[in-house]
Order: sequence, then C-alpha cells, then structure tokens
Amino acid sequence: MKPSLRGQIPTLIVAVIAGTFGVALVQFDGIISAAVRADPVAGASVHTVPLLLGLAAISFIVLSLYVSGVVTSNTVATVVAGRTRQIALLRLIGSSARAERGRIAREGLLVGVIGAVVGAVIGTGVAALVGHLAVASRIFRPFVYSYATPTILLPVVAVAMTTWLAAWVGSRRVLDVRPVEALGNSTERSIPDIAVHRRRHRLALVLVIVGVVFLAAGVVLGLRFPPAVLLGLIGGLLSFSGIVFAADRVIPPVLRVVGRLVGTGTPARLAAENALRYPERSSRMTVGLVIGVTLVTTFSVTMQTFQDMLAIGARNDPQQYNGLGPIISGIVTVFSILIGFSALIAAVGLVNTLSLSVMQRTRELGLMRALGFTRRQLRSMIFAEAAALTATATVVGLVLGFVYGWIGAQSMLGGVHGHPGLVAPQIPWPIVLVVVVAAAVLTLVAAVSPSRRATRISPVAALAVE
Amino acid sequence: MRVSDRFDSAFSAVSWGRLPNFGCMASHTPADGVVADVSDLVKRYGAGATAVTALDEITLELRRGEFTAIMGPSGSGKSTLMHIMAGLDAASSGTVRLGGVDITALDDGDLTELRRRRVGFVFQSFNLLPILDVLGNVLLPFELDGRKPSAEERAWIDRLIDQLGLRNRLDHRPSQLSGGQQQRVAIARALATRPEIVFADEPTGNLDSRTGREVLGLLSDASRQHGQSIAMVTHDPVAASFADRILFLADGRIVRDSGRLQPEEIATFMLSIEAQR
Repeated sequence: MKPSLRGQIPTLIVAVIAGTFGVALVQFDGIISAAVRADPVAGASVHTVPLLLGLAAISFIVLSLYVSGVVTSNTVATVVAGRTRQIALLRLIGSSARAERGRIAREGLLVGVIGAVVGAVIGTGVAALVGHLAVASRIFRPFVYSYATPTILLPVVAVAMTTWLAAWVGSRRVLDVRPVEALGNSTERSIPDIAVHRRRHRLALVLVIVGVVFLAAGVVLGLRFPPAVLLGLIGGLLSFSGIVFAADRVIPPVLRVVGRLVGTGTPARLAAENALRYPERSSRMTVGLVIGVTLVTTFSVTMQTFQDMLAIGARNDPQQYNGLGPIISGIVTVFSILIGFSALIAAVGLVNTLSLSVMQRTRELGLMRALGFTRRQLRSMIFAEAAALTATATVVGLVLGFVYGWIGAQSMLGGVHGHPGLVAPQIPWPIVLVVVVAAAVLTLVAAVSPSRRATRISPVAALAVE
Repeated sequence: MRVSDRFDSAFSAVSWGRLPNFGCMASHTPADGVVADVSDLVKRYGAGATAVTALDEITLELRRGEFTAIMGPSGSGKSTLMHIMAGLDAASSGTVRLGGVDITALDDGDLTELRRRRVGFVFQSFNLLPILDVLGNVLLPFELDGRKPSAEERAWIDRLIDQLGLRNRLDHRPSQLSGGQQQRVAIARALATRPEIVFADEPTGNLDSRTGREVLGLLSDASRQHGQSIAMVTHDPVAASFADRILFLADGRIVRDSGRLQPEEIATFMLSIEAQR
C-alpha cells in the first residue's frame, strides 16, 4: 500500500523547521567564512573562525535534531494511537504488523525528505537575505560565496534520516495492535505493557543514578581542574536521558498538582482529569517542551553563574579577565537565539499533539455537547488542558535547567583563575520571565485551533462517528 | 450551521439570563398531557437535484408519562427525528415544541441549556465520559449547571442508584463496567434531573438479548412508576414491544401509530414496510 500523508502535517512542520534551521546555520557559516576571507585585516582568523563556527553549528544542529527527533516520535506515536482501528482492520484482513509499521516509517522518510528540502530552500533564502543586508549595511565587505554548496546536504540528509528514525521509534506501538481491536469500540489502549515499562524505568533509574554520580564528581573535581566540566557534561546527558525515558513517571505527579491549580470549575476539573487519563499521552505531549525549557534554562543559568564567577575571578586576578565581558555577552545572546530554535520545535510538537488528541476525542466532545456542555465550557476545558500541560513542562524544565545550569558553571569554572570556589546559583530572572511568557503564549496558540474545532463539532455528527 | 450558531458564544451568557426558568415554564405546559408536539417537520439534506428529504412533513404528539417507541427500517428518518426533537439538530422547516417551548426558535446556547435541564439521553454506546467515575457521570448534568443537587434531588438520585443496582459501582470507571452496567449508568444519569423527556437511541443495540431486556424493563419501569416520558428509537421488534405506543416511520413519514404490540406483530409489520420499498 502506498504511504499516505494524511495526519503527517505536524511532522512535516517539524522537519521543515529543523531543515530551515540546519541549512541556515551552514549557510551563515559559509557567509561569515567568506566575509572573513574577503577582509584583508583578518589575518590568522581566516583559519580559526571557520573551524570554530563549524563546531558551533554542528553542536546546535545536533541539539535541534535531538529535540525534533523526540517531538516527531511522540507525534507519530499519537497518530498511531488514533489510527488503532484502521491498523487493526488491516491486520484483520491479513496485513502483518511489521508491514504496517514499515508503512508508517516510510511515511516518515517521505515527510522527512520533503520537509528537509523545503527547509533547505527557506534556510538558504533567509541566509542570502541576511548576507545581503549585512553587506548593504557595511557590516561585511562584499564577498564571494556560492549558496549551492554541497555542505548543505549534510543537514538535509540528517533531518530526513532523523525523521525516518523517529517515525520508526514512534510507531513501536503498531506491533501491539491486535486485529480484534477493529471490532470493538476501543479508542486509545489503556492496558500498558508492564514488562516493557519496568525494564525502561529500571534503565532510566540506572541512568539517573550514574548521571548524578558524574555530576557530583564534576562539581567536586571542578573546584581543582576545569576539564572536570566534561564529567559534568556526561553526567548531564546520562541523567537527562534517564528523566526523558521515565517521563511517564516524572510528569504525571507534577501534572496532578498543576492541574489542581488550574481551576476548580467543571471544565478545569475535567481538563485536569483528561490530562491525567493517559499518563503516557500527556508525557509524550510535554516531554519535548521539557527538553526545550531545560535547554534554555540550563544555558542561561550557566551563563549567569559563569559571569558571576568571572566577576569574582576578575576581582582576585584583574589581568586575566581584561575585556572579556562584552565578548561573553555577545556569545550569550547568539547562543540563546540558537537554543531558542530547539525550544520552538518543542513548542510546535506540543501544538501538534494537543490538536491531534482533541481530534481523536471528537466523539467524546460530541457527547459532552449532547449532554449540555456549552461551547464556552468546551473551550475553557481545552484551554485549561493546554495550560496544565505547558505549565507542567515549564515547571519541570525550569527546575531541571536550574540544577544543570548551576552544575555546569560550577564544574567548568570552580577552579579557574582567581579561584571563585563554590558559588551560589544565579537565577536569570529575565530568562525565567521570557520562558513563562512564552509558555503562556504557547498555551493560547496550542489551544486556539483545537478549541475552535471542538466547538464546531455538531453533537449529531460526533455521535454518528463509529 | 445556522447563522445564529456563530454568535452563540458571545451571547450565550446573555441568553442564559434571558431564560432562567425553564422549570417555571414547564409548570404551565398544556394540561392536555402532551410533552412534545411536532408539526409539519421537514428535514432536507443538500439542495437542488441532489436534495434528500429525511423527514417529510411529520406531525405527531408524544403524551406525558408514556413510553413511545419510534420504529422504522434504516434510513427511515427515525434517528433524524429524534435528534431534532432533542435539540441536537436543526429542522429545515416546521416546529417542535417541548413542554410548550418551541425549540426550533432557540439558539445554540438555549438548546444546550434545554438538553442539560429538560432532556435526558441514553445512546447506543459511548454514553459515559471515560474520565469520570459512575457517580461523576450520573451527577454530570448538575455539575454542568454549576450547582449541587438539592436534598430532594439527592434522595431521588440515591433511589435511582439503588434501583439500578449501581450502589457498589459508584467509584468505578466506565471501562471497568460491562455494557449492561454502562447503560444502567446512562439511564440513571438520564433520569437524575427528572427531565421532561428521555430520548433513547437504540439503547439495547450493543447488548446481548438478556441484558437488553433488563435495560428495557428498567426504562418501562421508569415510565410506569415515575411517570417519566420516554421516546425510544429502535429497529428491534422486541425492544419496541416494551413500549406503550409505537410509531412506525418509513421514508420520512409516519405510516402507522399503534398502541402496545407483540414482537411478532411488530416484526410482521416491519417486513411489510420493507417489502413495499
């Protein structure tokens, strides 16, 4: 059977953003390197600048691919949950589970290729525009650069492959669909595969424990040797992966508390119940955003603490730190924007999954209308659900980011010139404010289209859906 | 979608204020004991040459306290009739009066309130909200109204819960109940507000025949013991035989209005309708 693109628009959007981001970064690299070459006073930096830029670009592209991979696999898992009936029917008339899963993975590859190519066009366009403006405003001298560089194939291929892989991972549940489900009234399955869960949770626990040991070692050794930051980095990656693996254990308790704070009216209460009904679904929806918020917060807390430590170091040893301030704040700004892109992908993921999950509840929403839910009640229910999800992701992300950021700065700079020693973590309030406002905006954006669709549902049509 | 639908969200708060006392209106409904009356009801889908007439100038009265079955083969318009009478769908022309109020003139907000306060529903399946437990589902109409049941209503609900055998299931989720138990919960919810009328759409369609008969028995008890008006749409002759009155629909018209019948008589008549088509 030919792959169908129905229901794959969300994945396509994520692939386009990731592709745009990756290709634009590569093109910016090329432009800046060309501009440096065109500058007669650049001297030795002709070689070092492209190298450093290349490393930075690769890091940020990998980061954005990681986030888009998580988001895509979660979106695909949501799509699969909604297609259970159809998959079961195909199984019933003789298709194998492997074939069905393969079909979804192929759809992922197709969507990934299309998204990456579209992203390449947009990214190149954006880079060309910025390059043109930079020359026009005399930031750069006129330079020679071909936008049709083969290097852009790297992000294009990486995005396509990531989407393919993510679709494969996200479609794992296809293997559990039983043919008989085509006959029942089953919606999303609520019978969890306990053995698999237990194995995953055990793995997650091991990762977190090992990660915490590494993090502690990073902080302690960082007081003596700056390279200890590598231990901290490994610890951070391990423990954070552990938390992502066990998201269905970590997120629901927070969601429960946040859900109570959202409101006490009937719509808010039902929204909180809905968010908790399938812990896995809610975790799928929020985990991408948790990663995004954690990244942004980690980075800004690190930088804030970092600057604080540099200030202490500069007081103790002024010579070493002369003129470093402006350079660091410039780097902080650029990197924040680049990390913000990963957070944007995560936000798109939440919008996608919320709207898919509302679509999959058409029948239930129709029943609510039939029983006397007003449109306004339906709308506030969906807004409350979106608010509970984003607030949960924001809280978890801020807490994690705060801890990681402080550990990062501490292990990197605890033992640097001037010996700042142990420094209290610094909360970058402007960034916290930005994150909270962004989460509020995201809530509105995520809820608008599903709530509009939900209020348009005619009870009769919804009840007729078999 | 009607034009007024687009504005209902902005005006619904106003309109709630405008019609605060459906209860009072119900008290001075016609003394002739008519709970619902339908006149010249037409429902057409599409326009021009492709238009399909689902209901063709239907006129009928449902008497208060009676258990009426609306029967007909698939496509006869029986579900459409029920949806319009219950305020779930709009008529093309004609009027539907429920407890003396012309519901074809109401906007979406008022219809929503009507369904919440004055109508009860029992559907074929997927009757209950999966996120609420049994008690939560039964109390949902009150909760949607933003109020707690009064002491008297509370006593009535307690009685329903006992009669329907739900006492030790109150904290169960719908997914933990059998099909028959789910329908009992739906019946309890439908009766909880003592609505003008309960609409039941193939309430036994998903049940085995023994459980189905139990559910039908509960519905006819509600009508006999508590004077509850019930309109049940079905194509099952056995189900219809529980009703006090049977209306037969074919091609959007009422072809027979009969008192209580035996399942065999109903089946024979249904076959004769099918044969004429």
